[in-house]
Amino acid sequence: MNMGNMMSFIKPELLVFNNLMFKSSAPYLWVLLGIAFVIVLSVLNKINKKWFVFIFMLVFACLGVRSAFQLMNEPAVLLFNQMLVSDSFGSFFNILFLGSAIITALSSFRYLDKQEIQHPEYYILLLLSSLGMMLMASALDLIVLFIALEIMSLAVYVLVGFRRHDRKSNEAALKYFILGSVASVIFLYGVALLYGVTATTQIREILKHVHASQGAMSPLFVIGVGLILFGFLFKVACVPLHMWMPDVYEGAPAPITGFMTAGLKTAAFAAFIRVFTSLGYGTAFSVQLQNHFHDLLWVFAVATMVVGNLVALLQTNLKRMLAYSSIAHSGYLLVGILSGCLNQEGYAPLLVYLMAYIVMNLGVFAILSFLSSRDDTGLSLYDLSGLSRRHPVFSFCLAVFLFSMAGLPPTVGFVGKYWLFYSAVQAGEVSLVVISVLCSAVSVYYYLRVLVYVYMRDEVSSFGEQRSLSIFYHFAVGLMVICTLQWGLMPSSLLQIAKKVVMSF
Amino acid sequence: MRTQINPQVILVFAAIIFFIGLMGVLVRKNIIIVLMCVELMLNAVNLTFISFSRILNHLGGQVSVFFIITVAAAESAVGLGLVIALFRTLRSVDTDSIELLKG
Repeated sequence: MNMGNMMSFIKPELLVFNNLMFKSSAPYLWVLLGIAFVIVLSVLNKINKKWFVFIFMLVFACLGVRSAFQLMNEPAVLLFNQMLVSDSFGSFFNILFLGSAIITALSSFRYLDKQEIQHPEYYILLLLSSLGMMLMASALDLIVLFIALEIMSLAVYVLVGFRRHDRKSNEAALKYFILGSVASVIFLYGVALLYGVTATTQIREILKHVHASQGAMSPLFVIGVGLILFGFLFKVACVPLHMWMPDVYEGAPAPITGFMTAGLKTAAFAAFIRVFTSLGYGTAFSVQLQNHFHDLLWVFAVATMVVGNLVALLQTNLKRMLAYSSIAHSGYLLVGILSGCLNQEGYAPLLVYLMAYIVMNLGVFAILSFLSSRDDTGLSLYDLSGLSRRHPVFSFCLAVFLFSMAGLPPTVGFVGKYWLFYSAVQAGEVSLVVISVLCSAVSVYYYLRVLVYVYMRDEVSSFGEQRSLSIFYHFAVGLMVICTLQWGLMPSSLLQIAKKVVMSF
Repeated sequence: MRTQINPQVILVFAAIIFFIGLMGVLVRKNIIIVLMCVELMLNAVNLTFISFSRILNHLGGQVSVFFIITVAAAESAVGLGLVIALFRTLRSVDTDSIELLKG
């Protein structure tokens, strides 16, 4: 073989690691350092592991957030032989992922005590999976993307089965593991086919190839893109690839369910945007292929919204209901993906919606982790009867989050939905927006039904007195309520950040 | 003289193995066998990478295989751990007995 040709993809000038690159990779390095440090802490016997591990996990995650904030305004820097990029798009998502890890850790501390599963591994896995998400949002190479996906998923499989003496939790973890790993492998097969066509796994090189071929795609390329699309649609739980999600959400510990709704879905969408814009969706595909993909995503979006919302109407378990509502939200987010390449605001509305989605879901699941009883039951609608008399403040917060999920003003959910649908109309997707708005109107019923039970029914069960209230729950829920209302009333700063992030991309 | 296998043949072979693995995941009842089928699919992808690397005369595919093998090892470790945890509470490794979560 011709060695010169084979080695040509390693560019020696890109293998240096200078000061600028070191600074740009700071968020990842802080989290990595945090993982290593917390692992060492958790095997020491002399100390009170619980508090040390918890506090140091929070400290390192906060350091990561701080350095990601500093990188928000910096120009893009390519790292590790163009495998990763550190730009404001990546930094924005890094803040979101680490923020969700912090809120999840805060809302799980007392939960783990209550379930008697307070092990230090929990916080390590939380940090590991957020590292995977961070790498996913900034990967420029499909193999790196795959490895990041696996880092994230493997940690989350274990977290889902963390209540390991409980059959439900184990079943959920194994189901998720089998389906998730099959989806990853299918994604990887798509990568292999793209490699076969383009002789590279770097998404920018693939884009160059697409531009050069002037829309003349080989069938192998189309199949490869289709398989990659399958992997993403599985991860964001689009109908008909959604069957795993309600089961996994029901079986997983409540704070982890919140982390999955917030983190996993956001990571999948971040990678989705980066890969599909780079693979030429919206710019370089031939008109015919573009239309094919557009129609495919259109059908997926409509099916996801309709099925998610209608099945959610029938659920009485809150975690299952929120799982279906999360499927429905995937549908709205797909509307953002569809219209993103067709209007001048690009993916900015999608980013705002993702932020709104993260904030309200983390808030709801923080409350649910507090309400769940010893064996993670007590989360059906009827158990919430008369909650407002027992916990008036938390009931009010729950009301704020559910109003936000239903998309009613003055909450951030309204801002997100309004802007998303407005931009979709601008992009000419009127029929899609009509369907989304109708689905959204249906969703108001099942969100407000929870509030009917909370505020208008008499108390039936009296358990809940023994629940230990802690400052961490208050902090997590309070922060999310402030975000929901603040961004709902004064959204301009949020919109500006999203626009800036998209411009950099 | 050494006989060379045509890389295109290996590509087809890998595709067949991939679909055997996929079918195995979908129809087999024993969780251990399902895990083996996932590994089979991963190795089919490895073969695809290697034969493309041969066809294109490009080293990237072979490097990718090392990473995929590492990920596959981690994945089977986590998978078997989860199977053991399930076996402790369920006393079975049959997919039909996974029935608590429905709807």
